[in-house]
Amino acid sequence: MKEIIELSDKKITIGRNEFLKVKGSIDTNLYYVESGSLRIFVLDDYEEQTIRFGYKENLIVSLDSFLTGKPSDLYIQAIKKTVVKVVTKEQIDKYLENGNNQNLWIKILENLVVQQMEREIDILTNSPKERYERVLKRSPQLFQEVPNRHIANYLRMSAETLSRLKKP
Amino acid sequence: MELCIKFKIMQSEKLIQTLLEQTKQIINQAEKLKHYDLNTLTWKENKTSWSILECLEHLNLYGNFYLPQMENKIKNSTTKTELEFKSGILGNYFSKSMLPEEKLNKMKTFKDKNPLNANLDKTVIDKFINQQIKLLDLLNQSRNVNLNKVKIKISISSFIKLKLGDTFQFFINHIIRHLKQIDRILNTMENA
Repeated sequence: MKEIIELSDKKITIGRNEFLKVKGSIDTNLYYVESGSLRIFVLDDYEEQTIRFGYKENLIVSLDSFLTGKPSDLYIQAIKKTVVKVVTKEQIDKYLENGNNQNLWIKILENLVVQQMEREIDILTNSPKERYERVLKRSPQLFQEVPNRHIANYLRMSAETLSRLKKP
Repeated sequence: MELCIKFKIMQSEKLIQTLLEQTKQIINQAEKLKHYDLNTLTWKENKTSWSILECLEHLNLYGNFYLPQMENKIKNSTTKTELEFKSGILGNYFSKSMLPEEKLNKMKTFKDKNPLNANLDKTVIDKFINQQIKLLDLLNQSRNVNLNKVKIKISISSFIKLKLGDTFQFFINHIIRHLKQIDRILNTMENA
């Protein structure tokens, strides 16, 4: 992953609550989070639904738009002041012209697919307690980086329920 | 920030992408304003010049007029996507006339859109941001209709209608104009 990040020649700073991407736009960039935290969400009838987070040392991308080059409904918003390194699709395509690099890329994509599958099971899990425990086990760091109310939304429960579940 | 569409004929999708990007930047600028205190936001250079909150409230008043109308027209339109958007002569003129020039050029403000001396607080900024989120939604919805055929009445005369594509651009250029005004206010304050 380090090699991909090193392709970047651009850094951007996004202030708290500012948007990296809005609904309907095309965004084929890959972002590496140097500091801060972001969330990816969709608006469902004016209700926000967070589908993913990115914090220190994570990669964040609007994967649908990245892969298809088409508009995506995803919003990417900074939860606090965030600095990201930007890797463009063109830079990645050029990097992949070298056959040796393709393996690394495939590993990254495979990893993302597995994460997506885990997430799918998260969402289909009925018990709030189980949903919480799955994420706690998988990404304990999340609870240090992101405020409760966003995590609660991601877990599809109220902030009160999450507080209750967090009590030992 | 790209401020105008230079060519009269363009791809509809390209226009929408540009407008979405401009709206995103507008939201981000407004978020930055939330960090300032009320004194800064209500500071006026002189009695008749506008404070930052007054600029935003003025924009909110325009939003109150245009956004519901656009939403309505889009929702009730039976037109379909058209690949190309051709700017109307009047629409193009209005859009361009909204662009901020380097020199501060004063424009007349219509009485019902004049925010002077209204009692304003930080909720003005929230309202403004909510309107931009709404605008994003409308821009996305407008992909399904014909930007040339859907017509919007302008606020100063119900006899004059602009193409939806031109209305979006004119509306957004107007916002950009006042955001530049806000930048100038902040600069003036810093140098005062």
